Amino acid sequence: MARRPPLAAELTKHGIVWFVLLFAFYPLLVMIVISFKTNAQYEANPWFFDPVSTWQWGNWSTAWVIVRTYIANSVVVSVTQMVLSMVMVVLTAYVLARHRFRGRNLVYYGIIASMFLPGTAATLVTVFWLVRNLGLVNNLMALIIVGGAGGQVVGIFILKQFIEDLPKELFESAQIDGAGHLRQVLSIVLPMSGPILATIAILDFLGSWNGVMLPLIVLRDDEKLTIPVGLLRLEGEYVKQWGELMAGYAIASVPLVIVFLFTMRWFVRGIAAGAIKG
Amino acid sequence: MSTGLRLAPTPVVGKSSRWLPRTRRWLVLYALMLPTLLSMGVFGYYPKLDVILKSAYRWTPGQVQEYVGAGNFLDAFSDPLFWQSFRVVMIMLVANLVKMWPGIIVAIALHRIASDRWRYRYQVMFVVPMVIPGMVWLLIWKSFYDPDFGILNRLLDVSGAMSVLAWLDGTDPDPGVMPRIATALRPVIDQAVTPAFGGVWALLVPGAVWLTLAGGSRESSRRWWGYGALVALVGAAPWMAGLALTGLPAALGMLSVLIGGLVVLSRTLGPGWIIWPFWVMLTLWASADVAWWRGAALLGGAVVVGELALRALPRLTGPDLLRWAGLSLVTVASLLVLFGLIWTEPTNQFVGGRPAWLGNQDLVLPAVIFWGFPWVGTIGVLIYLAGLQQISQDVYEAAELDGVGPVGKLFKIELPLIMTQVRINLIFMTIGTLTGYEMFLILLGDDGGPGNVGLVPGLYMYKSAFIDQRYGYACALGMVMFVIILLLTIVYQKYVKVEK
Repeated sequence: MARRPPLAAELTKHGIVWFVLLFAFYPLLVMIVISFKTNAQYEANPWFFDPVSTWQWGNWSTAWVIVRTYIANSVVVSVTQMVLSMVMVVLTAYVLARHRFRGRNLVYYGIIASMFLPGTAATLVTVFWLVRNLGLVNNLMALIIVGGAGGQVVGIFILKQFIEDLPKELFESAQIDGAGHLRQVLSIVLPMSGPILATIAILDFLGSWNGVMLPLIVLRDDEKLTIPVGLLRLEGEYVKQWGELMAGYAIASVPLVIVFLFTMRWFVRGIAAGAIKG
Repeated sequence: MSTGLRLAPTPVVGKSSRWLPRTRRWLVLYALMLPTLLSMGVFGYYPKLDVILKSAYRWTPGQVQEYVGAGNFLDAFSDPLFWQSFRVVMIMLVANLVKMWPGIIVAIALHRIASDRWRYRYQVMFVVPMVIPGMVWLLIWKSFYDPDFGILNRLLDVSGAMSVLAWLDGTDPDPGVMPRIATALRPVIDQAVTPAFGGVWALLVPGAVWLTLAGGSRESSRRWWGYGALVALVGAAPWMAGLALTGLPAALGMLSVLIGGLVVLSRTLGPGWIIWPFWVMLTLWASADVAWWRGAALLGGAVVVGELALRALPRLTGPDLLRWAGLSLVTVASLLVLFGLIWTEPTNQFVGGRPAWLGNQDLVLPAVIFWGFPWVGTIGVLIYLAGLQQISQDVYEAAELDGVGPVGKLFKIELPLIMTQVRINLIFMTIGTLTGYEMFLILLGDDGGPGNVGLVPGLYMYKSAFIDQRYGYACALGMVMFVIILLLTIVYQKYVKVEK
């Protein structure tokens, strides 16, 4: 807005945003506060931190021992799935965007249609039986493959549009120079579509990182669980030491927060783009 | 890799026959897509087809596998838990209409903030909830609801809100305000709402059919034949379904008759081919009941009402009027649901000061609705922001010249101009509410909490398969959800395209 807005109005807007943010982040504050207390300390003062000298650092070390396997599993699953589905996304989007061949429309609409067909919600039962018949129950591989197959669809859709908008001359001159498909992908598609690839990768990673239902029905052993299911089992199993639980939640949140701190810009842009594309 | 390098389409002087290079090029392209095609086929399409197939079986893996035709669907439609699960969804959907406002208001406040730097900072902060695993939020909130440990009860006690709630609630011989309102509304709900619709399905199906039919050409007079045939088909459906129950060949025969009829219908009624899944559902629903004519009558009614509405109203005012009618219907229905269905009887929980939010039949729904306060989701805020950023500066300047105040701008500029985004978000929320059950599973457990109050359709499906071992039945429930989601997606596509 061109003119300087009145101070009161500006303060109201900030006030509204802060009000909502405070409420939205209150659960995180509670989590941190409780993670430093024993149950008795919490009963005595549920509202805020005790003096630092009485903080229960032991909660955090106990929780770390339990949660670290979950974190490792989640990192393995999410990273592998992301890489796998990125490879498929790039190859397929390149072929669909750059070439005309028999069956192209069938392939393209077949992929796009599955974006609008309901996924795991309705087919959870049959997916589980498929996984079982493949002998992948209690195997992280199942999460990677099933997640990668589902995660690539939106990526193909977005990246195909993007490659089609790249200047044709680039590809044509490369072909004249004798570059094959893989050379074209490596030296034209990848360098030119960096930001959009980052967006797709982030969406894919988040989907896998937060997945609950598939790991819940596929995984059995405690040392195989990913973060969401691990925390769920933790919450259900023990005579509740709330401090340790909350410390576990906090530790489980840390890895992605760290990644986020370094890639904030991509995250904000990527999630916004994902939100708009649907 | 080497073939990929050699096979750029440059070699003009092919000495082999003409088609060979072309076939090889084709093969290479498919080889590049092979991982996608394979994974999509196996993990994307096969389970979906399998759901359709298995929904016709009584199936407990390793023990029973017996063909029952439409039996699972008939069971579902006469299953009180099935209907109850959709009632829960309906309540949650209505609650969503209230819960979307904080997101809109925050987005608008954020959009109007003058400082670019602060706007970016806030935007980043609204992304943070996506970075914390959803499970962590769920579990923290679950701890809030813990009767003894939870911070919610303590906050309510300290702030004195507990006594207000107790007053609203009343006690058994002397109900408070909320149960009294519900009692007053009871006759309306029992005598008008429930019998008229019999369930959410009856509301959805004629609407869906009408919506898809309305997309066809309205001019040709042939459509009356189409309508007639459609109603007749629905009327004949119960017998067809009965026939289909006798065995797999009969079922396939009926299915082909059905599909053939629908293809013919879609020719006469325009691009209405999308209706077939709803049509099948409607058929099954109609035949699940003693009143065989109910499906046909409902469908005929929907067609007639739609035709009359389009006939009687001039082109321009028609859609507007319909929209207002729809809005007021939604408002009335929302009020009925919020005050008539949720808090119906005194819960007697607040007097003691330790209400068990997730452990009491009457408190589960309020607790689940309140979950996540202030209900500002990352995706929602970012969608709204994207919409707001498209509003041009001229509009604001013109409004300022006309002396429109900040609140006026909200109603005259921002809300109307982001209606598309609001609609998109509503559709997402609706699909999420219909299919999502993680929250209910985690907060309330397998059976949806005390009295199955929180048993949403998805959770019922989960429970049928993995707890009750009725896999075929679960597949049928999955199909029902599948059809509803498809319906909503079509609605979504139609509306978004119209707006652009």
